[in-house]
Amino acid sequence: MGLTDLMSMAKPNMDARENFLSKLSSREFVNCFQCLKCTSGCTALKLLELKPHEIVKLVNLGFVDELASSDIIWTCVTCLKCVQRCPQKASPYHIIMVLRNMAVEKEAQIPEEYLKTVSRILETGLAEAPQEVTTRKMEVFDRKSLNLPKITFPRESFQVAFMKIMEEK
Amino acid sequence: MPRIGVYVCHCGLNIAGVVDVEKVTEYAEKLQDVIVAKHYVYMCSETGQRMVKEDIKAHNLDRIVIATCSPRMHEETFRRTVAEAGLNPYLLEIVNLREHVSWVHSEEPEKATEKAKDLVKMGVARVKLLQPLEKRRVSVEKNVLVVGGGIAGIQASLDLADAGFRVYLVEKAPSIGGRMAQLDKTFPTLDCSACILTPKMVDAARHPNIILLTNSEVTNVSGFVGNYEVSIVKKPRYVDEEKCVGCELCTQVCPVKVPDKFNEGLSQTHAISIYSPYAVPKIAIINPNHCLRLKYDKDVCGKCLEACEAKAINFEQQPEEFRLKVGAIILAVGAEIFDASKMPELRYKQCKNVVSNIEFERILNASGPTKGEIINPQNGAVPKTLVFVQCVGSRDKRFHEHCCRVGCMTTLKQAILVRERLGENVKIYVCFNDMRAFGKGYDEFYRRARELDIDFVAGLPSDIRSAPEGSLYFDVYDKGTNKLLEIKPDLIVLASGMVPNTDLEKLSALFHVSRSNDGFLLEAHPKLRPLESLTAGIFIAGSCQGPKDIPDTVAQASGAAAKVIDLLAKDVIELEPLTAVIDKNLCSGCQICEPICPFLAIETKTEIVEGTEKAKAKVIEAMCQGCGLCVSACPTKAIKMQHYTDEQFLAQVKACCSERR
Amino acid sequence: MKLAVFWGCRILTSQYAYEMSVREVFKKLNVELVDLSEANCCGDPIKSVKDSAANYLANRVLAIANATGLDGLLVPCNRCHFTISEAKDVMSKDKNLNKKIESLLKEEGLAYNSHIKIWHVIDFLHNFVGLDSIKKTAQKPLNGLRLATHVGCQIIRYSDLGRVDDAENPRKLDELVEALGAKTVDYAEKLDCCGAALMYGHPNSALSLAGAKIKALQNLGVDGLVISCPDCGLMFDFRQKDAAATVGAKTSLPVIYYTQLLGLALNIEMEKLGLHLNQSPVEQLLMKIST
Ligand SMILES: Cc1cc2nc3c(=O)[nH]c(=O)nc-3n(C[C@H](O)[C@H](O)[C@H](O)COP(=O)(O)OP(=O)(O)OC[C@H]3O[C@@H](n4cnc5c(N)ncnc54)[C@H](O)[C@@H]3O)c2cc1C
Ligand code: SF4
Ligand code: SF4
Repeated sequence: MGLTDLMSMAKPNMDARENFLSKLSSREFVNCFQCLKCTSGCTALKLLELKPHEIVKLVNLGFVDELASSDIIWTCVTCLKCVQRCPQKASPYHIIMVLRNMAVEKEAQIPEEYLKTVSRILETGLAEAPQEVTTRKMEVFDRKSLNLPKITFPRESFQVAFMKIMEEK
Repeated sequence: MPRIGVYVCHCGLNIAGVVDVEKVTEYAEKLQDVIVAKHYVYMCSETGQRMVKEDIKAHNLDRIVIATCSPRMHEETFRRTVAEAGLNPYLLEIVNLREHVSWVHSEEPEKATEKAKDLVKMGVARVKLLQPLEKRRVSVEKNVLVVGGGIAGIQASLDLADAGFRVYLVEKAPSIGGRMAQLDKTFPTLDCSACILTPKMVDAARHPNIILLTNSEVTNVSGFVGNYEVSIVKKPRYVDEEKCVGCELCTQVCPVKVPDKFNEGLSQTHAISIYSPYAVPKIAIINPNHCLRLKYDKDVCGKCLEACEAKAINFEQQPEEFRLKVGAIILAVGAEIFDASKMPELRYKQCKNVVSNIEFERILNASGPTKGEIINPQNGAVPKTLVFVQCVGSRDKRFHEHCCRVGCMTTLKQAILVRERLGENVKIYVCFNDMRAFGKGYDEFYRRARELDIDFVAGLPSDIRSAPEGSLYFDVYDKGTNKLLEIKPDLIVLASGMVPNTDLEKLSALFHVSRSNDGFLLEAHPKLRPLESLTAGIFIAGSCQGPKDIPDTVAQASGAAAKVIDLLAKDVIELEPLTAVIDKNLCSGCQICEPICPFLAIETKTEIVEGTEKAKAKVIEAMCQGCGLCVSACPTKAIKMQHYTDEQFLAQVKACCSERR
Repeated sequence: MKLAVFWGCRILTSQYAYEMSVREVFKKLNVELVDLSEANCCGDPIKSVKDSAANYLANRVLAIANATGLDGLLVPCNRCHFTISEAKDVMSKDKNLNKKIESLLKEEGLAYNSHIKIWHVIDFLHNFVGLDSIKKTAQKPLNGLRLATHVGCQIIRYSDLGRVDDAENPRKLDELVEALGAKTVDYAEKLDCCGAALMYGHPNSALSLAGAKIKALQNLGVDGLVISCPDCGLMFDFRQKDAAATVGAKTSLPVIYYTQLLGLALNIEMEKLGLHLNQSPVEQLLMKIST
């Protein structure tokens, strides 16, 4: 019954599509009429072959699982050009972000730096640790030697709250 | 005791598919004063109507309720039915079970059935209080006002004039002709636009029944169907229309250069000019915003004054106002072209070699800024690679959601003309989303373009870029090949869409006509009454109703003219009796209602009541449109809307709030 | 005038030159900046992991800003500015998430307030301070410089959210540069992305995006590139060598924060503006200014 992708024998998964829909704030993407403006202007296309119009279409047809497990969703540069210029307000960028969230949920392979960042935020509140900077004259500086104010890191109460929202289903 | 018949229509499955019509009928039968209740698959059919008529006679019914589709569809039909059975047609109540129930509650059939019962109960409550009414009869003016002198306005005017009606054709621009006058060839036959239009323009100007008012606008409208009164202001041309012979001696001496509107600003004309080579009337006009004498000083310049041998120039000319009586009005004010500079990413107005389709139409035209030579306006060279980009400003939620309906065909036409004139060596690409060629002979025209080696790229560019030396390039992903293509054209033509005339905002208020969501004028019914506005006696034609090509425009214009002929062929017309009436005894003469009436249908007169003079308001029946504003404004409740009285409404409200049996 | 300021992570942990120049310039313009205490990452880097958590982080920043009692919040990082603006928008639309986040904030004794106005450096200087008063206060006009600007992506897109400048024809940064006497150039790649967001998953591609733009700018022969986002600073300035290498270009493009440029025009010492910290050859630019 129904639709089959004969190249991979995959079938649409409408439950996954429902789950996807519940995470997306707008349903405008169903209006996509494949004008290809998004892909023509996508920053990640030439380098990494990201084709936003294809992602929108696949989601519409119900091939959400395949996308959530794919590498392609991790190539978006978040330049937001597709959101700005889509004549149907379909917002491919927002779709890609939801797919990334779904990838994490189903514990698919994702670039590890993202998960490391979560741990850093949990530990210090910040996504990065303060670095020393070496100048062109090979002098080394940090916040202190530059007389910049000390960073005040959030306390444990933050960690508790952050953990709660991270673990929530 | 009233004797009521209730009829529930299935409307095929439209109503019966959701609402349990049998239950509703059973329910209706038990309501007080209901003598018969029936349901039938199509009440509007011959059989359905016959059923009502027979029941009226057999059961001596004196009030009828029909629960069916919207009264806008069939109220008239059923009024005729009951009248044929000898009942006053206003003793009928329509209950809307389709638009108000089944179509909007298709998910919840049980609740929908309950709602249907309530609405029927309310209908029965109201029908008991209805009064028999008689239609008003008024005489009609045999003149017609046509607003806008594009092909729509011209066609409608000629049809009406030939049928013997006097037509006032009011055009805002200095010449009639509209958009079509600017076109080079026309799809799908490639006949020359001027060749088919100019004779009609001349006919319109010469026709003894047409009074042409160019450079003019309608400033006021009052009255009602058959009896409109309109004011028209003719702006000064500063040139005497009787004397000017159109020799253009004046334009040659005028020292001021002004962008030529007819050529979309691609060339320059003078402060005194003739609108276009085919202008009708061919009379010069001075642009007061640019003329040195009109702008600065009475004594300055005056070169045209010296040059004109016919002594036609008159700097003292003032606006003239005309007041006319007309029986009907046709609005044919056309559309505008989307301003692509709202999309800076397409570089329109930033780069001279990105032009709109209407500008390109002028470039193609032998009387245009380049004398018909296809050149890149940036450097004057003949282009080697040309690109058309489709759907600019159309089918785009950021600007206009509608399809412009002529962009695809216009591009095909222009691409074919380029191929024909520049030969095989020029590369022509069309970047499109959907190619729409739905009219008669249109898809054949599309095939012709493909035969001429015009390349179609299935995809739209996200932006267009210009390199420092001014050359253009862009990326576009093509669905057919799954390739990202870079194209470097030397000329880009944007298929800018047709968008609503900005005047429509003003005009819709002036003529009491509505607009649809897309901003164009709204027709009375999208399928069955496409030529009428919702205001009786005002008709619409051409691209002011929605984007249209010439065949559709002309069809609609002739259709609207036929509708007007149908209306004005009679000497008297019947008007709905749904007017306000004032109870003299209750009127305190406060005059609150008078200024509130938008149709100026209330006048206050002094009367002698018991020896003293008293002011009393009076409704001028012929002018009242039954809008009901005065009814709600009257502090003493002296005004009543016939057929929509407070008592009738309250009876419905009471019925709605009462317990269901 | 007093403004709360949220720096985000990248400025606080490596793009010190931006921080120093903003602090100095705002002092000179009589705007007191109040640092948020115990603030957190804006949430941007974990949007890909869990959007609701990212929204929580962004709105926590707003709650902390609310605690300062000030009515304006300066967010000099493009990415933080976008994330916080969008999270604020989501809070007003998604009632469930709103409830969840408010209750988490309450646990920490924080209260959410949507009324605080979010400024970026660009619109604060352009709309609030104004070009005229910048022209007036600039003591050392930068006449003769020919500069390119790069506004970045996330403060101009997407328009429906309400952004700092026009999405397709951003002119504010150019006008701010021109107010100092320098000339700006228009160039085809102006709206192209620096690539920073790809550094997590595809660092080479990220660098080649920056590289392509650097190459184009060098071909244009400009005296320098003016930026106003720490991510763009990372890509065009800190990693310029690596970026240029991906496209086989030589690196000699001075990259400078607008606030550094403004600081120079306001006669602030170079050290205080962190000009020694830029990794690109800014001395080429500085030489042109002093001559
Ligand atoms: C680039 C382009 C190419 C086209 N090519 C073709 C083609 O090849 N074949 C084809 O079939 N169709 C073509 N069309 C479509 C064609 O132009 C229209 O179908 C036609 O012009 C519509 O005629 P109209 O009378 O409705 O409107 P218009 O031609 O726009 O005329 C409206 C008139 O009303 C006047 N007016 C406006 N406001 C007022 C006012 N307030 N008071 C008084 N007067 C007013 C205007 O001045 C104008 O004269 C093309 C359209 C475009 C844009
Ligand atoms: S730009 Fe929008 S409508 Fe066009 S293909 Fe992309 S998502 Fe679909
Ligand atoms: S936001 Fe992502 S998908 Fe959209 S254009 Fe930019 S890189 Fe491509």
